[in-house]
Amino acid sequence: MTKYVLKRLLHGLFAIIVVVGIIMVLIYTLLNRDLIFAKDLTWQKQANNAKVTYSYRKWQEYGYVDYVTFQDYVNKLAKNGEIDEETRAGISLGRKAEKDDELTAEYVKKFTEEYEKQGFTITRLDAVLSRKKIATGGQQVLFAARDKPLHIRLWNYFTSIISVDTVHYVNEETDIGKRGLTFTTHDPLYGGKTFSPAIMGNGTKHKYLLYFDNQFPFIHQNLLTINLGESYSVNYGRDVLETMTVSQGTYITRPTLYPTGHFEDSADDLHTATYQPGSRESSELLSARFVDDYTDVVTEKAGMSKMGYSFVIGILASILTYLLGLPLGVFMARHKEGLVDKIGTVYIVFIMAVPSLAYIFMFKAIGGSMGLPTTFDMNSSSKLMYVLPIVSLSLPATGNLMKWLRRYMVDQMNSDYVKFARSGGLSENEIFFKHIFKNAAIPIVHGIPGTVLGALTGALITERVYVVPGTGNLLTQAINAYDNSVIVGVALFYAAITVVSIVLGDVLMAMVDPRISFADESR
Amino acid sequence: MSQEKVNLSSLGVPEEELFTFVQHDDEESEKITAPRYSYWQSVLRVFFRKKINIMVLALLGVIILFAYVYPSLIHFDRYANLTDAAAKHLMPGAAMEKFGHSLHWILGAGASGEPTFDAIWVGSKISISLALICAVINMTIGILLGAVWGFSKKVDAFMMEVYNIVVNIPYILLITVLVMLFNASFWTMVFALTVTGWLGIAYSIRIQVIIIRDREYNLASRCLGTPIRRIAMKNILPFMTSFIMTLAATEIPSYISYEVFLAYIGIGLKDMSLGRLIFEAEPAMVTTGWQFEFWSPVIVASIITVVLYVVGQNLGDASDPRTHM
Repeated sequence: MTKYVLKRLLHGLFAIIVVVGIIMVLIYTLLNRDLIFAKDLTWQKQANNAKVTYSYRKWQEYGYVDYVTFQDYVNKLAKNGEIDEETRAGISLGRKAEKDDELTAEYVKKFTEEYEKQGFTITRLDAVLSRKKIATGGQQVLFAARDKPLHIRLWNYFTSIISVDTVHYVNEETDIGKRGLTFTTHDPLYGGKTFSPAIMGNGTKHKYLLYFDNQFPFIHQNLLTINLGESYSVNYGRDVLETMTVSQGTYITRPTLYPTGHFEDSADDLHTATYQPGSRESSELLSARFVDDYTDVVTEKAGMSKMGYSFVIGILASILTYLLGLPLGVFMARHKEGLVDKIGTVYIVFIMAVPSLAYIFMFKAIGGSMGLPTTFDMNSSSKLMYVLPIVSLSLPATGNLMKWLRRYMVDQMNSDYVKFARSGGLSENEIFFKHIFKNAAIPIVHGIPGTVLGALTGALITERVYVVPGTGNLLTQAINAYDNSVIVGVALFYAAITVVSIVLGDVLMAMVDPRISFADESR
Repeated sequence: MSQEKVNLSSLGVPEEELFTFVQHDDEESEKITAPRYSYWQSVLRVFFRKKINIMVLALLGVIILFAYVYPSLIHFDRYANLTDAAAKHLMPGAAMEKFGHSLHWILGAGASGEPTFDAIWVGSKISISLALICAVINMTIGILLGAVWGFSKKVDAFMMEVYNIVVNIPYILLITVLVMLFNASFWTMVFALTVTGWLGIAYSIRIQVIIIRDREYNLASRCLGTPIRRIAMKNILPFMTSFIMTLAATEIPSYISYEVFLAYIGIGLKDMSLGRLIFEAEPAMVTTGWQFEFWSPVIVASIITVVLYVVGQNLGDASDPRTHM
């Protein structure tokens, strides 16, 4: 069994890697990369050579290309001590390649050779002149760029999924005092008086590596973080997983004691502080509150996270589905050709055939006329707004469950064991619930993990129709905003959930039905 | 016991009801007689036994007539009344008063003053065509490959990996990328819906083939030296006719639904299909007095899908030989 599960998970992992690879090809190679500038006003204002370099800079940020300018290269040489400050200042590109002085020409040649060897394409744009002067954005440029090769992209992506925080995270040259981890039994955030153990780091990415607070699950760690991809346009600078799990809505403020001793009502959750180089110096607001550069904090908000909303709605809808669908399906099979069976069949036809959008809108219209809220409002405390999304998700799923359960039970009704049980004098009810239902429920059981985990991924149409701030919309949102790393991250998340739920379904099925075994000998 | 002889003529039985002697015929006695059975005739007989099927089939005829003949009879110009502010968003009553009592205005006027009824049928033509073309392509590839997939163990191992990978690629992403690559034309959409769409069908065919493949009669057939192709064509395919019909019944409406869904999230066709009609009329749903514009295409779409589904399902039921008793 364990061997089987491991094998399946390994296969799943392989599938996921290929899926991520295919998606990377789809979005980075096949799609026209100029599309990202469609709504970019800065890009439209740029002219001449500046427009080209701006495009490349953006492409680098969105993860399309590796891009190095000649200036970067020279600065790097100076930093590494290969050339002195005087030489560095002496290197400057001429308006045309022929006008370079000897020193510059030498380094241009070196630059070209070094990067061409790595597969970069070198581009030199001469200065654009208007009336003997350089036109706006017409500055001469020299840069090297290459599309990131797929294997490097994949390797980088998968090796950075799980990252361990170390004291060497902060640039070694930065003076931040003594690097290291400190263990304290009295967390300074609580005034240093209450007992609350914490591990704090200096030189790490997160200030708190382990801490306790009053939120579930009470103990939190930042030592291991999962990075599925940093968002660029959907939620700037945040990881996909964080985008999905961070709370939304209005700020919750409460008295907060900052490291400097500053005391005020704030929504900042200081336990989430991460290192932001140079941030304290650049902002008076931060320097009044923080004693170091661990200033990037997550704010606490009143609403649930995207995943939270999706999960609550999804899981309640699944429970409702099973509560309604199982008895109805059994009843339909038990009284085949009866009135309930006929009505149920009409309902199933309706659900199977009618476009889902149509009946969700119908539920919305009916619910609205009954006075139920038809849009979701994070700031409202009303529980009624959950009703319509849950019903809209559950009723179609109920129809589907009824259909399959009825089919499985009717199929079982003619089996030999049923005839045998009947000849043995068992009552119809006993036969139905003890024998037929048990056998018919096995394929249903297989779908349960999928339903539960699937609730995490959200429901696209339902969430759109009722304006639920859930995860269902994240993929389309990312696609519309060309946020490539979010697309990859979300797709990976979906794929992982599918793989895990199929394996869990198999395990659950084997647990319920002793005849099913995944051990090698019996297969 | 006494035996009384009765005169036949006194009973009043007509001559033709009486037994007559038949001469023994060697040739006739060699023939086996069985009731005449023709598969497709039986399918039709069972199908038309239900009165509802006749009704639904008639409805399907009407839909096809309206979707394929009606648009070519009318001259539909969506923007003909664009400049007439009083022609927009009209309820049926108001529209008929303004433009005269004709079939065109029976469902009122839309956002650019176009007759909703005409727009719906022009859209239906596109949507139904899309669904039928996709279904034909996907079913053909799916059935052929599914059969091979079910029969060959080597192909099975390979195809399972492919299947595991492809089901994990978000469909929306794939379609968006394809639509962005080749613009949102009809044939792009056909390509996008069929490039991986056949895989699900092939997978379910594979399961059916595996179930039937090792049944006793196939085993016997194989022992007697029947070639695989003959087993596939003569033993297995007839068995699956009913399954394939049922599959088609769910597939065809599902493409219409899918087209509606894609249009709603904004990556649908650029032609005025049913989905796009619903998508563009969505703001009208929340405006009092305009709801008609939204509900008309939704209801027509629902009727079309339900009719297609019911016809397919019942044809599927009728094509199962077990119902031919």
